Amino acid sequence: MNLTELYERMVTIRIVETRLQELCFKGEAGDLHFSKGQEAISVGVCAALRQSDHIVTHHRTIAHEIAKGSALRPLIAEVLGKATGINGGLAGEMHINNPAIRHTFSFQLVGTCVPVATGLAYALRYYKKTDDVVAVFFGDACTSNGQFHEAMNIAKIKRVPLLLVCENNGLAGNVRKEYYLPTETVAERMCGYGIKAETIDGNDVSLVQARTREVVELYVRPESKPLLLEMNTTRLCCHKQGQGDIRSKEEIAKLAERDPLLLTEQKLGITQQQKEKLWSKIEMEFERILQDVQKDAWPTWNPD
Amino acid sequence: MGLSKDPWFRNRLIRDAMYQAVYNRMKVDDSIYIMGEGSHMKIHFDSPQIEKEFPDRFITLPISEDANTNFAVGMALAGVKPIVDVITADFLYRTMDSICNTVAKSNFVSEPKTIVIRAEFLTAGPTTGQRPESLFTHIPGLNVVIPSNPVDARGLMATALEEKGATLFFEDRMIEDATTSREDMLPSGLIYDSIPFGKAKIRRRGHKVTVLSYALTLRMLDVLFAKENLEYELIDLRSIYPVDYKLISESVSRTGALLIVEPDVTYAGVGAEIAAKISEMCFEKLAHPVKRLGAPRITIPASRSLHDLMLPSEKRILEVAEELSK
Repeated sequence: MNLTELYERMVTIRIVETRLQELCFKGEAGDLHFSKGQEAISVGVCAALRQSDHIVTHHRTIAHEIAKGSALRPLIAEVLGKATGINGGLAGEMHINNPAIRHTFSFQLVGTCVPVATGLAYALRYYKKTDDVVAVFFGDACTSNGQFHEAMNIAKIKRVPLLLVCENNGLAGNVRKEYYLPTETVAERMCGYGIKAETIDGNDVSLVQARTREVVELYVRPESKPLLLEMNTTRLCCHKQGQGDIRSKEEIAKLAERDPLLLTEQKLGITQQQKEKLWSKIEMEFERILQDVQKDAWPTWNPD
Repeated sequence: MGLSKDPWFRNRLIRDAMYQAVYNRMKVDDSIYIMGEGSHMKIHFDSPQIEKEFPDRFITLPISEDANTNFAVGMALAGVKPIVDVITADFLYRTMDSICNTVAKSNFVSEPKTIVIRAEFLTAGPTTGQRPESLFTHIPGLNVVIPSNPVDARGLMATALEEKGATLFFEDRMIEDATTSREDMLPSGLIYDSIPFGKAKIRRRGHKVTVLSYALTLRMLDVLFAKENLEYELIDLRSIYPVDYKLISESVSRTGALLIVEPDVTYAGVGAEIAAKISEMCFEKLAHPVKRLGAPRITIPASRSLHDLMLPSEKRILEVAEELSK
């Protein structure tokens, strides 16, 4: 994708999440977790993957679903709990699975996505015998969890084509990293498993796309080995809807200077008029879909 | 009802039968994989044929039960039918999260996939002798089966490998091979006969009391009732979820009494659930309240001399059954 296309996809995520947040406050959407400020990672990584490559994600998953190329209508319907949603309204935001676009699964519990992605990558290479890879997204807080470490063991020993994408926002929910991260970086922890790792700026969408493509095409895919990209980023929203934020307004305002959308606008040299035109196009698209989805049926079922 | 001296050589017949079903299916279905910690070792001992013929389809994983089950879910997402060998039932506590949160829930929010989780009961002490089967019957999305004999073991495993969903498959290694009746032995050859889940089996016809059990205690009762030539109706649950309430309620309607003998702790166990349900379904037909016998809510001790005290004695079972038949 070129930078304009990457920007447009990031804006789409930002607008969808902002509008869904408003619906949350009105009680129309459930318990949602957003990626505001982290959009460059999902968009850059997914743009670097082949369409046939898989992603496995965590609970903050609307961004990944859009980044992998989901249609907005079934996504919005799923988040609103409608029968027309991606998973018939049964999955909600935190368990979205959309095999058609190879957003293969997402898991609410921190850590689960990593061993599942490891098993998926193993089966793709050694059972299906394809050369597809799996990119698994998780936060830096996930590296506190035993599931992460058990999976690293297996991923290295079993030689699986797995790209580990660590979205490092320095927060575990509403807790700062001095409470859970014993090292300066997540990348340095990987030497214990003999897994290659590097740290990059996760708010630079071009860099994310370019570096992901390099490591996937030169290492993960051809060598069938795991590799971790630690992407430093800024979460500009609270952990989840209705929660406060441990950070002050000033601190968040300072972080917002590194908002990936802002950085991309500067790089593109986009004018205010061009920006407004694009944003209002996507906002109108969202409103059109929302009004449509609100008329959709609720799921029904027979519990027996 | 003493236990065999060496648990390693106990219940080989049920294990062989289970692996025969696995082997038969692996021959025709290349998506079936066996995985788990030490699965290489287990296959080597239990079913060397599988190791020889399908070396690529069993995966030895580290001692990381929770990640191993999640790994299996990942493989299932690519179309594999995994059999996860957790080895000892006590180890299932290590993988409760991946079973209850990952396996059961992912099958709910997407197209259900076949996953078999296999574990066995031992009696070696506090954390190598527990029976956690009833816990899993409480979790939506899991089938729980425990065969009492080789024919059922093969048939139920065949079903587990076809079932669109997850199955906890328990082997009761406390059952003694020597007590296996001729009709429960496997006929030779590659016979493939599946037994559906939720179908209990009347082991013994009778008109006085319905006696319900599974696995170890079922086998005990089978032997005991044959020896004493007693006219109790003996039912083997075979799967503790789903439960065959149709067959049980029909039997209870005929006999007017129900005794549940379970090899597990009775408190909040499978028997408690069935007792409540049957009391609701057959209240008018019951001449006595439903009775339960099983293990006390006590940790299983290491000393063999105490193990027999964990389960109700033959004498106690016969006393209660006699009371109910009045």
